[in-house]
Amino acid sequence: MARSILHIDLDAFFVAVEQARRPELRGLPVIVGGDPDGRGVVATASYEARRFGVYSGLALRTARRLAPDAIFLRGDFAEYVRVSKQFHAILANYTPLIESGGLDEAYLDLTGCESIGGTAPEAAASMRARIRAELGLAASAGIATSRLVAKVASDKAKPDGVLQVAEGTEAAFLAPLPLRALPMLGQSTEKRLAPLGISTLGQLAALADSALEGLFGNHGRVLGQRARGIDPTPIGHDVRAKSISREGTFAADVADPEHLRAVLRGFSESVGADLRRDGRRARTVSLKLRYDDFSTVSRSLTLPQPLSSNEAIFEAGTALLEKLRERDKRPARLIGIGVSNLVADAVQLSLEPAPERKQESLSAAFDRVRRKYGTRSLQTGRTAFDAATQDERSVFEKGTGLSSQMK
Amino acid sequence: MKITCTQEALARGLGIVGRAVASRSPLPITSNVLIASDEGRLKLSATNLEITMSCWIDAQIDEEGAITVPARLLSDFVNTLPNDRISLTVPPRSRQVRLACARNEASIGGLDADDFPPAPVVQDGVSVQLDPKGLRQAVAQTVFAAATDDSRPVLTGVDTKFEDRMLTLAASDGFRLSVYKLPLEEAVSEMTEIVVPGRALGELNRLLSEEEDPITLRTNAAKTQVLFRLKNTEMIAQLIQGTFPNFGQLIPASYSSKAVAEVGEFLRETRIASVFARDGSGIVRLVVTPGEGVTPGKIVISARAEEIGDNEGTLDAAVEGEGVKIAFNGKYLQDVLQALDGGQLAMETSGPSSQGVFKPVGDDNYVHVIMPMFVQW
Repeated sequence: MARSILHIDLDAFFVAVEQARRPELRGLPVIVGGDPDGRGVVATASYEARRFGVYSGLALRTARRLAPDAIFLRGDFAEYVRVSKQFHAILANYTPLIESGGLDEAYLDLTGCESIGGTAPEAAASMRARIRAELGLAASAGIATSRLVAKVASDKAKPDGVLQVAEGTEAAFLAPLPLRALPMLGQSTEKRLAPLGISTLGQLAALADSALEGLFGNHGRVLGQRARGIDPTPIGHDVRAKSISREGTFAADVADPEHLRAVLRGFSESVGADLRRDGRRARTVSLKLRYDDFSTVSRSLTLPQPLSSNEAIFEAGTALLEKLRERDKRPARLIGIGVSNLVADAVQLSLEPAPERKQESLSAAFDRVRRKYGTRSLQTGRTAFDAATQDERSVFEKGTGLSSQMK
Repeated sequence: MKITCTQEALARGLGIVGRAVASRSPLPITSNVLIASDEGRLKLSATNLEITMSCWIDAQIDEEGAITVPARLLSDFVNTLPNDRISLTVPPRSRQVRLACARNEASIGGLDADDFPPAPVVQDGVSVQLDPKGLRQAVAQTVFAAATDDSRPVLTGVDTKFEDRMLTLAASDGFRLSVYKLPLEEAVSEMTEIVVPGRALGELNRLLSEEEDPITLRTNAAKTQVLFRLKNTEMIAQLIQGTFPNFGQLIPASYSSKAVAEVGEFLRETRIASVFARDGSGIVRLVVTPGEGVTPGKIVISARAEEIGDNEGTLDAAVEGEGVKIAFNGKYLQDVLQALDGGQLAMETSGPSSQGVFKPVGDDNYVHVIMPMFVQW
């Protein structure tokens, strides 16, 4: 039996939340992302702002130039998380097989759930109505036999629409779309296909498996299947993040070690907050540096005891930074820090008082204050050094703030 | 040199000193074993510069002499020979050892005995006689708690303190602590505290099982070396320098819950739980519930493997005081329960973040402390 998969995605989520609680913003070009004169990027732009050519990830300064009359908001992450929880709670009424794709999107497997919410289009209409009535938000939905086609369909349905791709028409639906419509297909794949004259999913789907394997190895066959709308990946296995990371590109390359450490501190705190919110600890800390010539190095450190405090993440990151800079002191274009090898929040206590436990209490206190009063409300000396933009940016850079890499 | 002994004695001797042969040493000769005639017996000796082991075996000395040969090769060769007489011959001004046994003959190239690091002379310090059985138990119940990583070198040793008529062994890796008090036959002349490498004591314990007579422990005046003299074997170890932390003060005097259970059952349930704890940082959860009326008290031991499954086992326990929930690293629990060798034990606790204190029932000489794991219940 064909599966019935629904992908639902809130339209311009951050902006829509702001507009829901401040009706005067409705119908206006609104941009959420931080200080428009700073070096941050756009997290979300309202559809009105998008008409000016503003999109997520665009430098805020450029956005300001393109849409000088737009309303720029710093954003309220705690509020977005709160609304996101309500959104997910509504979805939970329709099927037990839900997989969150971030704050503002989710996949639902509605196969065999007709007695709960009716047919998939009926269920989609019902949940969109509840989201509008209870949260004041617009949601777009895609319905298909696989998660991949459902996702592409919800993108096509935006804004505020529903699109169902009937069983058997998946390949035809995808065929005219550009390569980048496929979520798994990145720029590098696109670049390799361009010389072959392949720019649509239909052209990609027409390639023989052997040709795809020749181009992309084992991954090629999967790519071909996806281009034909075949994706057997199940929904609802609560895929927990395997790693949590933050990275940022400097507007001007940075060689000053104090500046690098300051940025690293902000990222460490942001990574640490996510890690603790997830109720876990990490055994491995990784540091990533990109130099002015775009060469990238990363190093990691695995610790005997899993860590969770901001200080411990920062210390490990700093140690890795020192090691890398011992060999290469060139200015950095990008710096990033991440944790992986995540384990349950459990720690072996030691006979003698461990300074690490104090750091953990301190981090927990930071979390409580920042949850209530915002990230900027509390700074360490290092983050204050660079607080003008880095801290906000670290949260918004990845759009939803969930930069977790799945699998 | 011309020496004759039995294959059995030589193989046994090589097995003993072989434990001290250096595996990767900058000094190549330390991967050799020294073979020498010594007052009518054959002496075998090996060193990794931290531990030196020597062993004397009965032999017929026809011609005195000494040589060193690759330990691994010699011992592999001797082990495969039939149990017969072996003769070891080194012609004058040669470094080639000729071995003959039954209808086998071999020749092994060696290095000069004069180049072999001489065994240190250990004298002028404290000297005590120890009962091998008592010492063996004291070591077995403490040495496993010593640290295996070098981040704090002093913790890789066992704190060995002689005071009056008491020998106290203490070992800790920072997360657990084992303390064993062994009464001495005679009082020591002065209080002496040394830190013996855990590895050396581990090796010593392998030898102690076969000893009947009291053994001698002696240090040098500077307390940098310790000598253990057994009947036919001698071990010299470099002592670890540094002050052992005063963990004794961390053994709590009171408790809010005390559970007495069978060591065997406790060990079995902990082993079962540890299978499930393998992927979850080794977390084994203990829930102690006091008995009520005719219902006996119990300890429920459980573990879970994230996204795979879980396990729960129950054992009867006489519980005094209130119930408690506490989580330990399953390996630490298994280590102490294994070392206890049966009987009953008492587990004293005062909450999920306080020390768990383990004592064998009816034996006041031993106490083991394990710090719990902080977990989400």
